[in-house]
Amino acid sequence: MTVRLLFGAVVLVIFFAAPHFLAEFQLFQVCLIAATALVVLGIVVVTGIAGQISLAQAAFVGLGGYGPAILAARYGVPVWAGIMITAVVVGAVGYALGQLTLRVSGHYLALATMAFTAIVQLAFIHSDAVTGGAVGMQMPTLEISGKTFASGGTLYYVVLPVVGVLFLAVHNLIHSPVGRAFAAIRQSETAAAAMGIDVLAHKSAAFAASGFLGAIGGGLLGLLSTYLDPSQFGITQAVYYLAVAVVGGMQSPLGAIVGSAVFVLVPEFLQAFQTYLGLVFALLLLVFIVLRPNGLVSLASDLLRIVGGKQQRGAA
Amino acid sequence: MLRIRDLSAGYGHKNVLNGIDLDVPAGSVVAILGANGAGKSTLLKAIVGLIGRSSGTIELDGKPLTNESADRTLKSGVALVAEQRELFKSMSVADNLLLGGYLRRGQADMREDFERLLDVFPRLRERVRQPARTLSGGEQQMLAIARALMSRPSYLLLDEPSLGLAPRIVEEIFDIVRRISAEGTSIVVIEQNVNLALDVAQSGYVMETGSITLAGTAAELRSSDTVQAAYL
Repeated sequence: MTVRLLFGAVVLVIFFAAPHFLAEFQLFQVCLIAATALVVLGIVVVTGIAGQISLAQAAFVGLGGYGPAILAARYGVPVWAGIMITAVVVGAVGYALGQLTLRVSGHYLALATMAFTAIVQLAFIHSDAVTGGAVGMQMPTLEISGKTFASGGTLYYVVLPVVGVLFLAVHNLIHSPVGRAFAAIRQSETAAAAMGIDVLAHKSAAFAASGFLGAIGGGLLGLLSTYLDPSQFGITQAVYYLAVAVVGGMQSPLGAIVGSAVFVLVPEFLQAFQTYLGLVFALLLLVFIVLRPNGLVSLASDLLRIVGGKQQRGAA
Repeated sequence: MLRIRDLSAGYGHKNVLNGIDLDVPAGSVVAILGANGAGKSTLLKAIVGLIGRSSGTIELDGKPLTNESADRTLKSGVALVAEQRELFKSMSVADNLLLGGYLRRGQADMREDFERLLDVFPRLRERVRQPARTLSGGEQQMLAIARALMSRPSYLLLDEPSLGLAPRIVEEIFDIVRRISAEGTSIVVIEQNVNLALDVAQSGYVMETGSITLAGTAAELRSSDTVQAAYL
């Protein structure tokens, strides 16, 4: 308990101190990492924990961006409320998508969710009157109690707390009976059913959580980019989010943060090789799938195990 | 009493079981004997709702179970320990046990049962934080039984609890089975070791190609020419 309190205090100190040490652009990058991590957290829940391969995350992100933008433009709904309303609706869409798992699984589920992403992207492109079509649409600025949050420096105080709270919620979910049920389903659906777990309902719930997190992440990414371009919500982006999850570590919320940090920061360091970034990410994905399927976070746990083993041997 | 009448079940459109009649009186141990492929494991899966039942009835204390899903059957008090144990191998012993009590989550006495079962299976207490995959075969079987008991079943279905275990461990497992039975849980046990099964059971059934071909008390089965010739 004391360790947790201490950890919480350190996190709070870093949170309030960071804006005094980081430049505006760096704060923007921190926000980008956090929002991307939230999107990838949805994949951690549905694929890493519950074992259901999903390529629907880009569609959830797109819906999460377009939803509040359309609600604000057409009905004058405040952006913060629009993000929340959209996230709940997209969560319900995720639940409905999860019902697909009654009929399909494995590779076929991946294809079905990929088809969902393609359909949603096509809907964005062809609903010109509502979404602006292939040109896209402006994301309105976030305003809360008359205060405008338009830059990395101001959005920092919105994005990070929201992402922090949702990470904490997912951490608690993973360690709850429902999280154990998700993990049980990943390991054996038959055994999970024999434990009395309603497998279909839980798989659908995992998709719902994934949709909810993806939509909130999409809303936050929309606020950061200020513009919604439908080309950003297609199959390539779905694979990109999956790659972030694989490189970071699919079965850990921490993996979502680590993977997002890598995928946001690497392009900064490789600016001279922008043309080859796609190749770099593809190679990263390939290397991790083959050599370290549990992602970068597993390096840390392996390291701790080695150090722990050495200390034990030393004590003996 | 668990009462099964004219049960047919199988995988997809193919029936493996044909017209099974079977009674498990409350508090008793019933053995199911038969060669590999006779349909014994399929029968247990059909009882708990893990595979589709095409016809017949299953009743538990007069209440129909025939069309119930696996979670509802477990809620009614029938738990299965499958042949392959079906443990969640990357999870700890504790998490496996807690999943066994999934339908009772939130109940205050679940923690008491958790501790009580660790008393019954002290080897599991020693390894409570270890992943299930690191346990020996015998310990895994103990965990599978303990996990099923977490749901507080009134009927426990055991599919080949001695499979792949050393004789000393098998004895230990069957001592535990006797203890569970003495505490009032009804047990259906599938077992290749017929002597062991008939030692612990009061009655039994012999299955061949998806049908019951012989039924009787443990003593009757032991003295049956068919059982003697084929299984003893």
